[in-house]
Amino acid sequence: MKTAFTAKFLLYSLLLVLVFFPLGAAAMESEDCLGCHEDIETVGDELFINAAVFDVTAHAELGCSACHESVTDEHPDDGLEVSKAACLDCHDEIGEQYAKTAHVEYAACGDCHNPHQVRGLNEVSGYDLNQQCASCHETDDVVSSHSEWLTQADRHIAKLPCISCHTDSEDYVIVLYMTQRESKAVMGDFELSTYQDLVALAKQEDVKSLIDLDNDNKISLAELSTFNFDSTYRSMRLQATLTPADVSHTVETLDNRWDCSFCHTSGTERMQTSFLALPTSEGTYQRIEVESGAVLKALNGPPDFYMMGATRSTLMSILGLLIVIGGTLLPIGHGSLRFLTRKNRMGKGE
Amino acid sequence: MAEKKMIYLQPTAVRIWHWLNALGIVTLCATGAQIRFPEYFSIFGSYSSVISLHNTAGYVVVFSFFIWLIYYVFVARTMVKLYVPTVDDLQNGLLRQSIFYFFTFFLGGDNPHHPTPDNKFNPLQKTAYFVIMFILVPLVGVSGLLLLNVEPLSGLIIMFGGLKVLVALHYLVACCLCAFIFTHVYLATLGHTMIAHFIPMWTGWEEELEDHSDSHESH
Ligand code: HEC
Ligand code: HEC
Ligand code: HEC
Ligand code: HEC
Ligand code: HEC
Ligand code: HEC
Ligand code: HEM
Repeated sequence: MKTAFTAKFLLYSLLLVLVFFPLGAAAMESEDCLGCHEDIETVGDELFINAAVFDVTAHAELGCSACHESVTDEHPDDGLEVSKAACLDCHDEIGEQYAKTAHVEYAACGDCHNPHQVRGLNEVSGYDLNQQCASCHETDDVVSSHSEWLTQADRHIAKLPCISCHTDSEDYVIVLYMTQRESKAVMGDFELSTYQDLVALAKQEDVKSLIDLDNDNKISLAELSTFNFDSTYRSMRLQATLTPADVSHTVETLDNRWDCSFCHTSGTERMQTSFLALPTSEGTYQRIEVESGAVLKALNGPPDFYMMGATRSTLMSILGLLIVIGGTLLPIGHGSLRFLTRKNRMGKGE
Repeated sequence: MAEKKMIYLQPTAVRIWHWLNALGIVTLCATGAQIRFPEYFSIFGSYSSVISLHNTAGYVVVFSFFIWLIYYVFVARTMVKLYVPTVDDLQNGLLRQSIFYFFTFFLGGDNPHHPTPDNKFNPLQKTAYFVIMFILVPLVGVSGLLLLNVEPLSGLIIMFGGLKVLVALHYLVACCLCAFIFTHVYLATLGHTMIAHFIPMWTGWEEELEDHSDSHESH
């Protein structure tokens, strides 16, 4: 009974779509739609679509009607409700993956993504990644609940996207980003540099030139340390986060992330790959490859990124070891001579 | 046989400080090694427990440092006299004491220095203890406290040159303290017996021989 009904329903729907789809799609282009929807005056802020943001998303190529199929030429005067595509129509794999988690009960695709503002992982900063979760999980609450087992939870939450711990990504990369001191005060807070900030500093549109001096779209260790030690950039500071290399939607609590050694005893191997994320004129980020091993070096890389047990500098380790060995030389050397000459002190003072 | 005289060399506060400090710093060195080189050391179990132990030991050392500071500055008021090397110490004393340790000692000669409560340390000890207690321990303590509060104190950390500089400083100074422990414990066995210097650090009382010559060295 039920399946027969569903089949019939699907058939009618398909027919309906076939009849109306070409009409709707041909009728209005994205620009036409935006003519009204880009203008808060006409549609109000509920229905406002920020065209500048939408135009650079992967969804822009689809066009409005791909997702709002039912829209007619008469819209909005026809008073008909406009259909809204389901994300799963096109992203079924992600949908399946996410459906297996308990979190599917708590948040839908649209709670974390605005279909008109979608970004790929490489186009967002670590900072933005946590904003998505923060709309439901208030940062202060997360810090206090995590600090029950996580030392310096405030630091972890500030510097680590939630999805680094709460999805089962296979691999991680380190993403460097620029921050700058907002006020002149010595202790002023550092904030994420915007594209405009960097243009002002570089005095040109190509903000990459700030740090990629030979313009080869790669950042070498030498270029990194030149940037770090250049006194004209004293108000700038490179920061970094550890981000999943690929997005996974298995949003859950993973047992092995309880164990600090998942990140902290991985040794230095995992910490080789890093990128610099620079803001673009479009409000997204572009990633530039950084020479391998940058965060492990004592003087290059971001001066404030250090993960105990994982990003130690080999040079420092050796230096320290030599100091400790130096401390044993006196006991060993003096002790041996002392043993050999023990007769000289025998019976003295008796 | 020489006359024995007992002098009260190590007051209670100093002994409490010293052994809290020694236990604390040895713990810090061992846990610190696991924190920096987790692939090679796993003496203290999980990473989070080794961090907690390290943090606790750090607080113990900072606390005991204040016992030492307050005792010598405000109670005994002998800090400067005991710990700050004089010009003479630096010009002649260091050499004189080194000659003893590295030469006369092997020939069976006498220690040129005789501790009294007002002048406990020979010039070498004085200089070493001065560097340790006035420079290295405060440095490791301050950097440790900053590292315990990275997020709230990030402004200060940036003034220090950044987290990486701070970590390097903390690590290298800690290595110096670790090196000091080996040397220090060894030198402490150079009394007229192996344990002669350890006893006053435990009981407070030093046994000084009136004719200033050494007795048996035990092995
Ligand atoms: C002439 C201006 C205008 C144009 C052109 C226009 N819209 Fe609209 N649109 C509106 C107004 C006004 C509303 C609010 C209608 C209402 O509340 O009944 C609306 C409502 C909508 C809604 C419904 C919101 C909801 O929650 O029901 C969607 C979706 C929508 N428009 C999409 C589009 C798309 C897609 C296009 C282009 C194919 C488009 N619009 C073109 C003015 C316009
Ligand atoms: C990838 C699919 C997709 C594309 C492309 C798309 N939309 Fe949407 N749109 C949606 C979905 C899904 C919703 C429902 C969002 C919700 O309910 O939160 C929506 C909602 C809306 C709304 C209601 C207000 C809101 O923001 O929820 C308007 C207006 C709208 N779209 C206009 C447009 C216009 C104009 C374009 C083209 C410039 C466009 N959409 C392109 C999927 C899309
Ligand atoms: C009509 C098909 C279609 C629908 C419906 C659709 N998408 Fe997409 N989406 C795409 C395509 C095509 C891309 C670009 C290729 C890719 O990344 O898979 C894309 C990319 C994305 C991206 C990554 C953007 C980037 O730059 O890599 C996100 C995030 C996203 N979609 C979220 C959603 C969400 C959330 C919805 C539901 C509101 C949705 N999509 C609905 C087709 C669709
Ligand atoms: C709990 C929040 C959350 C939910 C719910 C969620 N996503 Fe995502 N999604 C993210 C985050 C975080 C990223 C990575 C940053 C970004 O691209 O915005 C992401 C990235 C993506 C990407 C880009 C992948 C890439 O390789 O760049 C797509 C596509 C996507 N999501 C689709 C979906 C779809 C479809 C759904 C619903 C089944 C969904 N998401 C539900 C948080 C979520
Ligand atoms: C639309 C609101 C919403 C958003 C956005 C959201 N969550 Fe949740 N999440 C919830 C709710 C509700 C719960 C269940 C109550 C709770 O544990 O706080 C939950 C639970 C969780 C849990 C615990 C699940 C478990 O198995 O115990 C994790 C982990 C989590 N969320 C991570 C995230 C991450 C990471 C993001 C961002 C990528 C995110 N959430 C975004 C609403 C949301
Ligand atoms: C260092 C890894 C790590 C990071 C970063 C992290 N979490 Fe968690 N989170 C965990 C682990 C492990 C648990 C399980 C601990 C427990 O059940 O008490 C957990 C538990 C949770 C829970 C369920 C229990 C609770 O506290 O309510 C939520 C919700 C949650 N995390 C959300 C977040 C959000 C949102 C972020 C980003 C702001 C985040 N987490 C960042 C590791 C992390
Ligand atoms: C296992 C570890 C240690 C042992 C066995 C030990 C042993 C001793 C002994 C026997 C003395 C008395 C002899 C002397 O004055 O030289 C002494 C004094 C002293 N030790 Fe240690 N020590 C240890 C660790 C440390 C550490 C880690 C520090 C500092 C970081 C330290 C600092 C000092 C100082 C400053 C004195 C002189 C104290 C005073 O009289 O004011 N010791 N120690």
